[in-house]
Amino acid sequence: MNTQINRLPVPTWNRTGVNWLDQKALPPDREYLQGRHLPYDGILPHGITLMDHLPAGVAEIKSGMGEWLDEFIRKGADKTCYLLGEGIASEPVIITQNLDPAQPVIRTHYAIKAKPGSNLTVVQINRGDAKDGVVENLTQIDAQADSFVRLISIQLLGKNSQSFDAVGARIGKGAKVELIRAVFGGKTAACGSMAHLEGQGGGYQQDTAYFTDEDQIFDFNDIASHIGRETVSEMHTAGVLSGRSSKILRGTIDFKAGSAHSVGHENETVLLLSPRARNRTVPLILCGEEAVEGQHAATLGRFDEKQLYYLCSRGLSLMEAKRMLVEARFMPVLNKITQDDLRQEILTIIERRLDEHEINS
Amino acid sequence: MKDFKQEKTRVDQADRTIYDVKDRLDPAFLMDSGITPEIVNQISREKNEPEWMRLFRLKSLKLYNEIPLPTWGPSLDELNMDQIVTYVRPKSTMKAKWSDVPDDIKETFERLGIPKAERKSLAGVGAQYDSEVVYHNVRAEVASKGVVYTDIESALTGPYSEMIRKHFMKLVPPSDHKFAALHGAVWSGGSFVYVPAGVTVEIPLQSYFRLNAPGAGQFEHTLIIVEEGAYLHFIEGCSAPRYYVANLHAGCVELYVGKNARLRYSTIENWSKNMYNLNTKRASVEEGGTVEWISGSFGSHISYLYPMSILKGKKARMEFTGITFAGEGQNLDTGAKVLHAAPDTTSHISTKSISRDGGNSTFRSVVTVTEKAEGSKSAVSCESLMLDSISRSDTIPVMDISCNQADIGHEAKIGRISESAIFYLMSRGLSEDDARALIVGGFAEPIAKELPLEYAVEMNNLIHLEMKGSIG
Amino acid sequence: MSHSLLEIKDLIVSVEDKIILNGINLTIGTGELHVLMGPNGTGKSTLVSAIMGDPRFQIESGQILLDGKDITEMKADERAKAGVFLSFQVPEEIPGVTLEDFLRTAKGSLEKRPPKILQFKKELKEQMKALDMDPSYAERYLNVGFSGGEKKKTEILQLLMLQPKLALLDETDSGLDVDAVRTVTKGIRAFKNRKNGLFIITHNARILEGLDVDVVHVLEGGKIAYTGGQELISKITQDGFGVLGKGVGLHEGL
Repeated sequence: MNTQINRLPVPTWNRTGVNWLDQKALPPDREYLQGRHLPYDGILPHGITLMDHLPAGVAEIKSGMGEWLDEFIRKGADKTCYLLGEGIASEPVIITQNLDPAQPVIRTHYAIKAKPGSNLTVVQINRGDAKDGVVENLTQIDAQADSFVRLISIQLLGKNSQSFDAVGARIGKGAKVELIRAVFGGKTAACGSMAHLEGQGGGYQQDTAYFTDEDQIFDFNDIASHIGRETVSEMHTAGVLSGRSSKILRGTIDFKAGSAHSVGHENETVLLLSPRARNRTVPLILCGEEAVEGQHAATLGRFDEKQLYYLCSRGLSLMEAKRMLVEARFMPVLNKITQDDLRQEILTIIERRLDEHEINS
Repeated sequence: MKDFKQEKTRVDQADRTIYDVKDRLDPAFLMDSGITPEIVNQISREKNEPEWMRLFRLKSLKLYNEIPLPTWGPSLDELNMDQIVTYVRPKSTMKAKWSDVPDDIKETFERLGIPKAERKSLAGVGAQYDSEVVYHNVRAEVASKGVVYTDIESALTGPYSEMIRKHFMKLVPPSDHKFAALHGAVWSGGSFVYVPAGVTVEIPLQSYFRLNAPGAGQFEHTLIIVEEGAYLHFIEGCSAPRYYVANLHAGCVELYVGKNARLRYSTIENWSKNMYNLNTKRASVEEGGTVEWISGSFGSHISYLYPMSILKGKKARMEFTGITFAGEGQNLDTGAKVLHAAPDTTSHISTKSISRDGGNSTFRSVVTVTEKAEGSKSAVSCESLMLDSISRSDTIPVMDISCNQADIGHEAKIGRISESAIFYLMSRGLSEDDARALIVGGFAEPIAKELPLEYAVEMNNLIHLEMKGSIG
Repeated sequence: MSHSLLEIKDLIVSVEDKIILNGINLTIGTGELHVLMGPNGTGKSTLVSAIMGDPRFQIESGQILLDGKDITEMKADERAKAGVFLSFQVPEEIPGVTLEDFLRTAKGSLEKRPPKILQFKKELKEQMKALDMDPSYAERYLNVGFSGGEKKKTEILQLLMLQPKLALLDETDSGLDVDAVRTVTKGIRAFKNRKNGLFIITHNARILEGLDVDVVHVLEGGKIAYTGGQELISKITQDGFGVLGKGVGLHEGL
């Protein structure tokens, strides 16, 4: 039993099964050769350069998945991608990785260092499939003063592979980091993010969308750690569960003493489509500072009958109304994906899964 | 919101030490280590218990020795089991001497206006007081309706022995956790209440009436059975501080709510601040039945308190309203658990917590909805108020939903007393301290509202006492 | 013979290191009603909040005298006890405290002893009736779930129950329908007498109907840019602040 991945910051009853990663989603127990650490060799837009080495102070930025996995990926990474942002990047960096039977393992160590005042967007797309395939990514972000980093992570793997997506961000004075995740594939998918809001006035925004079906197992561990004064965090997750899938989401807002005048909001909505799906939600607020404002809200359940009725009364079929409401949930994430074909691809997946559910139920 | 005295004593450390109890580690007390089967047998013999209970205790003892301490929650390292063992032994007086009772406890009795006659009982000194008479009168009155209200030990033999055997520690089995097992082995005293079908018990029954029974409170077992269509309000505890030499309270409460019956269970607990309060409370609710928990936690050094409700019949309901006030040296881990195991069941959990002076307050919950709970609804709302930056307030809720025809909502808020609200009240002439106390009192109002008047008044007094100790 | 109830001398007020009021001078005598007008964002609320002692605002220099007594250093509750009352633009919600209990506590605080219950209840009932307020509001938590209009009426109810020396009304008419404004004006009329004073911030003349306005001040650029009589009000409400001359009205949205 590996209890080191996606650990709940403060443990609770063991019987709930949420204190650490769902054991069905554990990384495969295989021996890997020492990582080759091949650097990224794609084209970079103006304003972003590739660094030869991991800059000082980045290796220790913890991700939400825990130090055990962070270390594992750092050591065993086949590929590295250490990006340096200066000034305003002209375009986003788009990195697509394809899993296939010839290459069933992808392990990449990303680092994004955003110099003061810089602005960059990085898009990570993981696709493909392989029997016992696995993608393990670690992204460590150092957002220095007044910088802006947007990380978009899109996971569209097939159902034979496993996915691990670890993100850690250190947010400096006045800096802002946005993490946008769309998680749809894999027989298991584990994500963990941790924002270290160290600098005064730093901001963190996280939007996640997922749709499970069949026997998928999804496991999330997201933490916004407020350390500096006047820091702000917003974490929103919208998901749909169908089939016999299972999902655990741990979302933690942690106000450390000294984070006066900080604000943290966390919000989760889950639509359970099928009777065999299982949802576990653990929204934590940890607080050691008086002058803060923290809120979390979770709404878990079924379609709002009143909303469905309203849409149908305007002429939509029940199916169209359901599709509209499901897509509406994913808008905050879809709106941030500027590549039209990618957005359309995701919309198609959503539609197909919804249709399949309707046919099967 | 009741009026409170505008004058206040100068706020200083002395005010708060009324709840401090110095630890006394008298070597004379630490004779035996560990609870042995011999001790358990002795206990059972002294109480003249039926054989099944003796065997039950022994089985529990075995489990106690096997089950480890919990891996979560406040630390139990300082719990002195040796001292507790001694007090569990029969023939030992589980009572303190009045002269040993800390002055501050005595002062609180004075402040809260507790009648002199009751103080010794509250302090575990065990003197008789005239509430014995009240107890007997209440018993007689409800007996005429067929209600059984008695101490559980004597009910073990007699017409209700089978009923008790059928229900005793079935809701909270000794295997549940270490302190349930301890309870199963050394439990002593407690109430047994049986309300026959269709009977409404108008006056609330109170465990307080039986305070002077030996060992009362500490390892007390409360078993309440409310039959179809009946109603009962049971009140446990009181706002006056309770002092025990041995500092563990490992009680157990089991509530069986029948079809369409209603049981309201109110607790105000203000155990002295050296106490470990590890109480397990559980209710099982049949079709159409309702259990209402009202809970005010003010005392104890460390608390583990999560009343659990099992909604096993269609349309069963659970309402939980609670407030926790954690001050200096306190680590209060409280919350609620509910299991929706039948269709159209509903649960409402509404809690408030206040942390100040380095106190630690944790709200911990689990809402489980099984696939059999179609049409169920659950709403959890918890609000926490931080009064300074040396205290802590943590919220750890879990929702486990396996039903796609249920509506589950949860919201939690944490913050401080709003500066603009303080200014608004000050602009109407209230001093800053009074403005804060008014706001905190208002914060606790939804709980106060649910209690019988004298308890609500006591709770307000407690809050004001606590608040006076926290400002300045 | 009226004497000065409120005197403000060279008052400079800042918030978060930004100067909002840059040298305010004005005097309100007993029995007088002064009106404060000005483009949005010029600091009208800041002025009355500073007089009330809102801790958000820093008094950099200057003095505030009430009845000759220097209240510049006093905390808000001390000023309330000295006789200042502010009708808030956005009244606070205080959950768990009923309107009645709150008023009784406030009255007790100001008069240094709790009011007699029966007398108090009677007075409250009468005042609520005069303000066309649903009597059940006395049992509701203070301002919680009240509409904008009901909150403002509650402020005026408090004014009438607490009887301060100086009443500062911060846009009490905003967000109210015609009938509600009339009711509020009725309340102000009932309050006004020869011994107390009123300082009203408003954008339009409706709230002042039937009231004798003694002085109209126009706040602009952090100072009182213009002072005049009652006739100013209709001039401004008809033609805007520009009618007062060049420079006025250009600082909109400061």
